[in-house]
Amino acid sequence: MAVAPLAGRRVLDLGALCAQRPHALAASMAARLCAGYGAEVVRPLPSGGEPFAATPPLLPDGGSALDRFLNAGKRQGATTGRFDVAIGDRASLAAHAEEVPVKARISVFGPGEEDPPMTELGLMALSGLFGIVGEAPPAPPARLAGHQVSYSAGLAACMALLAALLAGGEEVVDVSLLDVAAWLNWKVAAGVMVMGSAPVRGGARVTWFTVPAKDGHMALVYQDKDWPPLRDLIGDPRLRDDPRFATGPARGANRAALLEVIGPWFAARTRAEITAAAQAKRVPLGPVKWPVELLDDAQYRARGFLAPDGMPALPVGWDGQRLTLEGNRADAG
Amino acid sequence: MPGDAALPLAGIRVVDLGWITAGAASSTLLLDLGADVVKVEGPGAPDPFRRWDGAEPGSDWWNRSPFFNFTNRGKHSLCLDLKDPRGREALLRLLEGADVLVENFRRGVMAAFGLDIAMLRQRFPRLVIASISSQGETGPDRDMVSFGSTLEATAGLAALTGAGEAPVITGRDVNYPDQVVCLFAAGAICAALLERGRTGQGAHLDLSQRELTSFLLGEELIAAAAGAPSPRRGNADPAEPEERLVADGAGWRVEWPGGSAPVRDGVALAAAEDFARGTAVLRSPDGTPAKGIPFRFANRTLAVQDSCHDLGTDNRAVLAAAGFAPEEITALEAAGVLATAPRGG
Repeated sequence: MAVAPLAGRRVLDLGALCAQRPHALAASMAARLCAGYGAEVVRPLPSGGEPFAATPPLLPDGGSALDRFLNAGKRQGATTGRFDVAIGDRASLAAHAEEVPVKARISVFGPGEEDPPMTELGLMALSGLFGIVGEAPPAPPARLAGHQVSYSAGLAACMALLAALLAGGEEVVDVSLLDVAAWLNWKVAAGVMVMGSAPVRGGARVTWFTVPAKDGHMALVYQDKDWPPLRDLIGDPRLRDDPRFATGPARGANRAALLEVIGPWFAARTRAEITAAAQAKRVPLGPVKWPVELLDDAQYRARGFLAPDGMPALPVGWDGQRLTLEGNRADAG
Repeated sequence: MPGDAALPLAGIRVVDLGWITAGAASSTLLLDLGADVVKVEGPGAPDPFRRWDGAEPGSDWWNRSPFFNFTNRGKHSLCLDLKDPRGREALLRLLEGADVLVENFRRGVMAAFGLDIAMLRQRFPRLVIASISSQGETGPDRDMVSFGSTLEATAGLAALTGAGEAPVITGRDVNYPDQVVCLFAAGAICAALLERGRTGQGAHLDLSQRELTSFLLGEELIAAAAGAPSPRRGNADPAEPEERLVADGAGWRVEWPGGSAPVRDGVALAAAEDFARGTAVLRSPDGTPAKGIPFRFANRTLAVQDSCHDLGTDNRAVLAAAGFAPEEITALEAAGVLATAPRGG
């Protein structure tokens, strides 16, 4: 029997009927995960058609890669019929899912509060997740690529509705886009609340960043215990003798000077050469890879993670198998 | 208003070998959903989060790490030496009554403990085993050493992130893949419990943080495979062309048609009313801030129900509940297989 935890369950994906894009993306992701777990997912469309049909990134054939990714394994259909789960925003659920026993409701702030007009970057800004990422001021903060805030809310919604299905009976799951983003960013909030000071973007203790290599960039990521092997790998005596590089805080405070020493070493080597050398010493450096490079990645290929059209599998191996989207369109439905 | 219906995972028993965030905070979500969670740490290998910033030097520093206590509130604490055959045997007895095992050790460590996954699957066919790792259980890079931000690089997120000329990683204050994997892993565990209800079979869940990070850029992978460019767009969102990032005094502000938001730093976040009304950070019964719960239920109250237990506090209670006689427990204590402090602490 194929693994399909949600086999026989019908999910109403109201993502296309959500009034705002962050809600629509979150609901669509939660429903996408349900499809991955074997549910029959029905996605009703508004009169204007699929709202993501023209949303970037666009494909050479004029279609939307976002549409293709988020709506894989779903089928269009009406809001009528029996459903086990409905996922949407407050208004779409009230209009179309009154009788559905398990509902996942996406909002900005949570139950009982109005949804103001909101964007994903706005949510990232309010949660602190924008302000903490990027180079030190006066450089601007850096937005996490893609739809991380909305997709994370979709992950949270999916987890909660799976739990509600385990419990049986009726439940309404409320997922606040802001709460999820702030939950992801807990070290910043907890820094203030339990340590008395918050980490700041590009602060002096930041010693992790990307460094240009011969054919791209490397992520310089290491802990204090990794510094001696990393220093010895690069082999410049100044890294050992200069007090500006002796401790993590010192290296953070003297980043420009550090880059002057290590920059040429990185620039003279390929990402693969640097990665192999660092990994041989168990130092957690890694290459910055572009999406197109991942299509031919040996690890992903060995694990059957990406289909030839770039479609990623649900990112879990299940007793060594991948769950597939085939067979869950519930021809039986 | 939320009622008193049993929480969804009431009666589910979790053995938590998880470390730092990816493993430990996934188990915390299961706890918040009603599961009974026993966190197992060896006296020679406590959760590294116990040795973190702010762990005050003192007689029991291992019980004073703010981030450890924030993350692990409410779990039973069992300090058991898995390298000792008696400790391994005790863990196996504990697993007889368990529904879920969570681990995020370096690949190969479970097998080194004599706890290889194939043996566990055979011996405990109803057990759901969640292995959270950087690269997954298999493949040529399975032993690659990574932190969260390494995976942002190798998964495609860093290449597409950054407002300047260089790709950007979130760094140790976010370590994004470590955070987001908890949401997916806890969901996958719930799915596996549903599947167990359907088939009677547990499962081994092989969760690669790198794969999840790439999955969350799925549209970019599909675009790349079709030959469409996937450039670094900085702070521009092609779907929100009228959105702007503008300077606002010493900071920044995001503006869009119909609204705007300040770019908050940690101090502004912690002081914000919308944050305080939310659930991202909650309070333990002892009043200390605690890791929150990223959703609510309308019919059930979700709350942080217990504070953080000191290391090994629950040694006797956990083993007694697993059927150990008092003299067996005393013998394990005398042999140092059970402990309440790290070795050399």
